[in-house]
Amino acid sequence: MTTEKKQTGGSVLFNVLQQHGVEHVFGYPGGAIMPIYDALYDSDVQHFLCRHEQGAAFSAVGYARASGKVGVCLATSGPGATNLITGLADALADSIPIVAITGQVPTSAMGSDAFQEIDVFGLSLACTKHSFQVTNVNDLPKVLHKAFAIALEGRQGPVLVDIPKDVQLAEVTNSLEDFSQLRNKVKLPPANVGSAIALLSKAKKPILYVGGGVGMANAIDELRAFSETTKIPSVSTLKGLGAIDPDDENYLGMLGMHGTKASNIAVQECDLLIAVGARFDDRVTGKLNEFAPHAKIIHFDIDTAEINKRRAADAAILGDLKINLPALAIPLSIADWQQECQKMKQDNAWRYDHPGENIFAPAVLKEISDKMPKNACVTTDVGQHQMWAAQHMLFNDPSNFLTSGGMGTMGFGIPAAIGAQVSRPTDCIIAVSGDGSFMMNVQELSTIKRFQLPVKILLIDNAKLGMVRQWQDLFFNGRLSETDLSDNPDFIMLATAFDIKAKQITKKSEVSAAVEEMLEHDGPYLLQVKIDAQDNVWPLVPPNTANDQMMESI
Amino acid sequence: MNQYQLTIKADDKQVVLERILQVTRYRGFLIDGINAKVNTGTHIGTIILMVRSERSITLLVDQINKLIDIKEVKIDDVVAQ
Repeated sequence: MTTEKKQTGGSVLFNVLQQHGVEHVFGYPGGAIMPIYDALYDSDVQHFLCRHEQGAAFSAVGYARASGKVGVCLATSGPGATNLITGLADALADSIPIVAITGQVPTSAMGSDAFQEIDVFGLSLACTKHSFQVTNVNDLPKVLHKAFAIALEGRQGPVLVDIPKDVQLAEVTNSLEDFSQLRNKVKLPPANVGSAIALLSKAKKPILYVGGGVGMANAIDELRAFSETTKIPSVSTLKGLGAIDPDDENYLGMLGMHGTKASNIAVQECDLLIAVGARFDDRVTGKLNEFAPHAKIIHFDIDTAEINKRRAADAAILGDLKINLPALAIPLSIADWQQECQKMKQDNAWRYDHPGENIFAPAVLKEISDKMPKNACVTTDVGQHQMWAAQHMLFNDPSNFLTSGGMGTMGFGIPAAIGAQVSRPTDCIIAVSGDGSFMMNVQELSTIKRFQLPVKILLIDNAKLGMVRQWQDLFFNGRLSETDLSDNPDFIMLATAFDIKAKQITKKSEVSAAVEEMLEHDGPYLLQVKIDAQDNVWPLVPPNTANDQMMESI
Repeated sequence: MNQYQLTIKADDKQVVLERILQVTRYRGFLIDGINAKVNTGTHIGTIILMVRSERSITLLVDQINKLIDIKEVKIDDVVAQ
C-alpha cells in the first residue's frame, strides 16, 4: 500500500494500529504525547481513558489475555512512562503480547533532564521483550509493524515504542508501505520426538504437567486430544488452568505451593513428567532438587532458554505445540496408575462443610463457579483470594481465568477485568479481589463508571493483607507487621460513589441469594464478602520444602 | 568459578550492547572484559565478552540468543576453572 497524503507521526501510529486490526486502546494523555492524542481525535480507534497509567497497562493485558489479540496502551513521558512499567513487567513474566506507546520529550531536549523526561528506553530493558526509540519519523511505520510482529512471535511478550514529541509532529516523507505481514523467523531445529516416545513407552507412572504456554500456543484442542489418547493423569500450573477439561477424570488440579494434595503427591511419585508450555517455576516445584525426584523429564516449549533452565530435560521438544503434541499421542497401558491417581483425587476432594455462621470464601467461589455462565471470564488480584479462586473455580479455557502469575501483581484484577470486558462485551466478567489488592487500583472504578462496563466485583474482605498475615502467623512467630487493614474505607459507600451497585454480606446464609443477585444484575456490581481474618489457604507447601510435605492446617 | 569467553554477532541496532550487559548481570555472570566493534559495511557488531560465574554458560548463551538483534553467540573456550 502507498499513499500520497502526507501524514504526521501521530496519524501514522493510528494507521498502523488499524492495519493490525486494533480497535481499542487504553491510555492517559500528557504533555509529550499530545500530538498522538490529537491524531486520536480523527481516528476510528476507540480510546479508553483509564485513571492511572498502571490501570491502562493492566487493561491492555486483560484485553490481550481475554481475546488473544495484542493489547495496546499509551502514556506520556516521565511519570506516565514509569507508571506503565509494572504492567509491562507483569506482561513479560506471563508472556502477554502488548504494544506500549510512550511519548518522549523532543529529540533536541533528550538527555538534558528536561521536564517529564525519563530514560524509559533504558528502563524498558528489564521489563520488555524488546523496545524501540524512534528518532526519525520515516522509521516509525516499520518500527511499529516490527513491534507487533515481535510481541506475537515465538514466546509472546510486551514491546515498548518510545516516540519523541517532534517525531509525533513530523511529516512522513516516504511512502507508507504495508509491513503488516512482517515476521521475524523463529529459528528452531526440527523437533526430534524419537527419544520422547521411547521415554513415554517405558513409563509406568507418567504425569502431564500443563502450563500457560498451551493457551498461548492456541493448542488446547491438541492437548486435550493428547490427554484423551494417552489418558495420562494431568496437573496444571496457575496459568495453565482451563487448558485441560476440569471434568476430565484424569485431571488432578493445580500443583505447587497451594496445589491439590493429589496433584502434588502424584508428581512426587511419577516416573515421567511431561512439561507442556511450563517452566518449573519455584511456586510449582517447591524445593527444586526434591521435585519429582523419580521422574525423567520431557519438556515441550517454544523458548529454547526454558529447556534445562531449572530442571534438566531428558528429551526436549522445541517448537509449536500444535504440531509437536500430536506426534507423541500414543495409547499407553497405565490403568493401575490412572486408578491410583483417581483414588488420590477422590480421597482428597475439597470439602465445603465449614463450621459456624461465618462465610467460607472457598464455598462462595465454588458457588459462583457453579452458577456463572460457561463463557464467563474471571480475573483476580493477588493473595489468598487468588489462590482460593484457582483452587475452587473451574474454567474451560485459560482465556477465562486471568491472574497475575509470574509477577504476582496486586492491583491487577480490576483493570484486567476492564480490558477483558472491552474485548468481550457480551460475556460475564468477574473480578475476584481482596481488600488489600482492591485499593491498589481502586481509581479504575471510574473507568468502569465512564464506560458503563458491567464488570462484577467480588471483594473478599478480611480487613487484612491476608496472605502476608498467614505467612507471618506460620513462619514469623505471629508477629503481624503492617498487615492490619481494619481502617479500610466503607466499600459500599465507595462503590456507590462511582454509581456501582454494591452489597455487603457477613453470614453464610446470605451467600446464595447475593451471588445470584450479582450475576443477574444488568450493570457493574460489587459484592463485599466479609470473612474471618484468621482463615488460611490450605494446603500450603512451606518455602524450600518438597511438595509432598504440605501443611493442611495449623 | 568458571570463566568463559563469548563471541557475539549482533545487528548494529539501538542499545544492543546495553541489552547484552543487562542480561549478563541479571542472569548471574560477572564481566571480566569486553571488546566491541562494528563493521560499518555490514552493520554487524562483534562483541567479545569475558565472563565468570558458578552457573552454566548455556544459561547465559540461551538468554543472549533470545535478544531480538542477536545473530549468533559462540562459546570460544573455557579460559580457566
